[in-house]
Amino acid sequence: MDIFLDFFRGPEGITLLSVYHAVLRLSLPILAFLVVLRSARSLLGFRREPEVWAWLRLATGELQPVTHWENLLGRKKSADVVLDFATVSKNHAVLTRLDDGGWTITDIGAKGRVEVNGKPMLSGRVDYGDTISLAGLEMVLEPVSREEAQMQALSRTKAGKGHSPGLTLLLLTVFQLLAVLELVFNRPEDRVTVISAYGILIGVQWAMFVGQKLLKRSGFEVETIAFFLTTIGLGVIASAYASEMYKQLIAMGLGIGIFLVLGFCLRDLETAKKLRFLAAGAGVLLFLVNLVLARSVYGSRNWIYLGGFSFQPSEFVKICFILTGASTMDRIVTRRNMLAFVIYTAFIGACLVVINDFGAAAIFFVGFLAIALLRSSSYPSAVLVLVGVGMLAVLVLAAVLAIRHFPHVASRFAGYGHIWEDSFDKGYQQTRSLMCIAAGGLFGLGLGNGWMQYMAGEGASDTDLVFAFVSEEWGLLMAVMMIFALAMLGLFVVRSAKVARSSFYTIGASAAMSILIMQAILNFFGTVDFLPLTGVTFPFVSNGGSSIMACWGLLAFIKACDTRQNASFAVKLSEKEAAK
Amino acid sequence: MKSIAKRTWFALILACILLFGVLTFAIRYFLYAERWVSFTGSPHVYTNGKLDTGEIVDRGGEVLYTSAKDRTYAESAALRKATLHLIGDRAGNIPPRILRAYASKLFGYDKLNGTAAMETSDGELRLTVSAQVQAVAMQAMAGQKGAVGVYNYKTGELLCAVSSPSFDQLDPPDPENDNADGRWDGVYIYRFFHSSYTPGSIFKLTTLAAALEQDPGLAEKRFHCEGSVLINGERITCPKAHGELSLAEALSSSCNCSFAQIALQTGAEALTEKAEAIGIDRNLKFDGITTVRGHFDLSDADDNALAWAGIGQYTDLINPCQYMVYMGAIASGGSAAMPYLVESAHSGGKETYRVSRSQTEPMLSPEAAELLRGYMRRNVEQVYGAVQIPGLEICAKSGTAEVGADANTATFAGFIDSEDYPLAFIVVVEQGGSGSRTCAPIARDVLQACVNVLDGER
Repeated sequence: MDIFLDFFRGPEGITLLSVYHAVLRLSLPILAFLVVLRSARSLLGFRREPEVWAWLRLATGELQPVTHWENLLGRKKSADVVLDFATVSKNHAVLTRLDDGGWTITDIGAKGRVEVNGKPMLSGRVDYGDTISLAGLEMVLEPVSREEAQMQALSRTKAGKGHSPGLTLLLLTVFQLLAVLELVFNRPEDRVTVISAYGILIGVQWAMFVGQKLLKRSGFEVETIAFFLTTIGLGVIASAYASEMYKQLIAMGLGIGIFLVLGFCLRDLETAKKLRFLAAGAGVLLFLVNLVLARSVYGSRNWIYLGGFSFQPSEFVKICFILTGASTMDRIVTRRNMLAFVIYTAFIGACLVVINDFGAAAIFFVGFLAIALLRSSSYPSAVLVLVGVGMLAVLVLAAVLAIRHFPHVASRFAGYGHIWEDSFDKGYQQTRSLMCIAAGGLFGLGLGNGWMQYMAGEGASDTDLVFAFVSEEWGLLMAVMMIFALAMLGLFVVRSAKVARSSFYTIGASAAMSILIMQAILNFFGTVDFLPLTGVTFPFVSNGGSSIMACWGLLAFIKACDTRQNASFAVKLSEKEAAK
Repeated sequence: MKSIAKRTWFALILACILLFGVLTFAIRYFLYAERWVSFTGSPHVYTNGKLDTGEIVDRGGEVLYTSAKDRTYAESAALRKATLHLIGDRAGNIPPRILRAYASKLFGYDKLNGTAAMETSDGELRLTVSAQVQAVAMQAMAGQKGAVGVYNYKTGELLCAVSSPSFDQLDPPDPENDNADGRWDGVYIYRFFHSSYTPGSIFKLTTLAAALEQDPGLAEKRFHCEGSVLINGERITCPKAHGELSLAEALSSSCNCSFAQIALQTGAEALTEKAEAIGIDRNLKFDGITTVRGHFDLSDADDNALAWAGIGQYTDLINPCQYMVYMGAIASGGSAAMPYLVESAHSGGKETYRVSRSQTEPMLSPEAAELLRGYMRRNVEQVYGAVQIPGLEICAKSGTAEVGADANTATFAGFIDSEDYPLAFIVVVEQGGSGSRTCAPIARDVLQACVNVLDGER
């Protein structure tokens, strides 16, 4: 098979050097595959063992475990504590755990009453030993003893068991070192920058790993995926303009700061709930600042320049938006009104239309759907569909108007689907992308050897078209691997929702993931002409400070839903477990 | 919590859309990567807008085009002029369609390695045409506008695919400012593949095939021509009254009155079906070339229009290349080889492409083909003496299509009925007057040149 021999061929035929490069070219995707695969097996293969927070002892002596911080008690099968007695309503009450370890019970409009120690209760505190009565069915709330808690902590599978995150990170480090070797060979003039930038990256990731170990946390797969994507992103920047690597690293550092702070805040629901109002205000403020200060770049007025730094406020609004939208279950089922959130979303949508950023508008729309869907748990879905369709109609209308009136938007849409007919003008970006993807083959031309680098900056090859950039230099396999990595995180979020502590975390993680995946969809589909180019960044890979900072922020929500035993710094160990 | 957890399917759907996109793109990559990487302007394959590597040769190895350093062309002006439309012109007015289609084969691109292991400047693309035959055709056309095509109906090799007028690559005309006499009109169009013409009487071969298949007794019928016949209040005319005619005579004297009757008898449905079977209004696609569609539509036709359509007028249009293939189908008893232009490609000392030949769908029944072959042979023996080549059984039909008050398109199509020289041909001359008088001598010269080339290869 000649083409396999060709794999080892260089400009001077098969030489020692060409074989060395071929081995390097082959090693990178294999290592990437191992990193993604090991993370996937750890994140998708874990057994979903519930955490028991309290017991409900029925009059019959039967013990029912209370496995979430928010629990629906009722007759229906999908209730968290199923009480199959004729008098109990389908949705009867919500039993909620507070941060201090106490409990409250909320009557959610059941036919039969909720009583605590014989007194009717609409919403109020329950102490251990109290008798709860749901339409006459009595049960006693009992605590989980220290021994039970420790037994449970011991018996639940530790995060990353069998797929040591340390080894995965080590593989990632080898991957990074090989990338450095290739970059240094192809770009000797940038070797100092490249070596020090990747050195910093490797240092940061191991520092975080050790830090989490000190916190007795062992789940590092989510961060590993983020660092894997960042490694590729840095390679793109090294090829386009090495000097910007530091800038990206600084942004990454700030992003990790947001990630850690947000993660720690999310451990306690009370703190998180307080953050909501702050976040809602910050979101509005950011957009107002945007409207006043922003400068128009490529037709979208979404960039702010402050003292040499540029950033896109809408990126940070994503985090605020999720915090605003997330909600705990007792609120969801009692105050069914999402009107405030709908108005908030509409405001954001209107701002985005005004600043002409349709990619971001589509992303927020998807985020809204994800949140609204989860919050409508006992809502007639027709209302949701109505709101969704209404918003979509407004978006489409705005897009149509924009295409009519703004030449920049119009030209982006004009080339769509006809890129080859106008390959030197309207279809320029996408046709060059496809040419370069094809030129790269499955294994790429080598880091720094591509042509897309000449299209960086104005041509957006390092941002909007980064899929093609990676395909050309790292190979199509690697580009596909970045998508697999993201999709895999999505599956993890869906999987872990079942054992989440609070709906606040489920909503946060699901919305964050939906936003990240939507970004990948718009970026990738735009590059290969499945959709019009909307100028959206690929999470963690695209060159851009605000983007990578926001991505790390969104990652905190995903960390907060990782309830595997000792997995995540953003998930608190109960005091009883911690005391062991 | 359970019911909320279930609703996270939304993120799952998004992930599925993303993965589905990857799958779709992977399929597209395997189907189209070569096309993408070799598209004009591709930074890896072109430098300064020129393809980096390779040469194009004709069937005899004559170099027609080299792209290695700077573009160079065939050595003689006559060959450059005769192969212009195959190669494309320097200024880019005539796109290099074949080159574009095979660029990836010329520089040894593969999907696994991309352009990483690309070879440098030793690619070779071998065409089926003979530059010598093309030159003879070009000379015979003598500057008249039109097209000449010859192909081997057994293998599909196109020996001649000429479009006239043409010019020397190195001495291009300036049609924008220097075209008072209209002689450069449409010079950038590859007429043989990309023009469609009113066929005139060569279309009677289509009508006759439909009629013979519907009514096998037709061959024994006799016809009567008084010089004109009234159909639906309008006249169909012949140049003269032909009197009593057999079917063979009706064809050889190209009697419009007889064929009007035949068309009416056969009916719109059978004629339309035949035109479809032959592929009049379909395009052929091969080697980067997509021929234009012809046209045959009787949906609004009354009887008079139906009669005119049956004799190759009305709104009938044919593409020369496509109709030439029909000639091949008559010659080989119903179905012919699909035409092609590129025999093979080599790069880096390896064969990167070799044609895989194929046949057309059956266009007519073997019995009808046999009868048509006899009639067309009789035509040549009795009417088209000018195309005769001693020792060869040439079969043909001419046409003189009225396209304006004073304008006729001269057409001439047929084949050599021979095991050794299985060649089908077509000649079209715009404003050419009589089909047989104008085109038959051109056909003879070109066929003679083809026979010489084939003899030389033995």
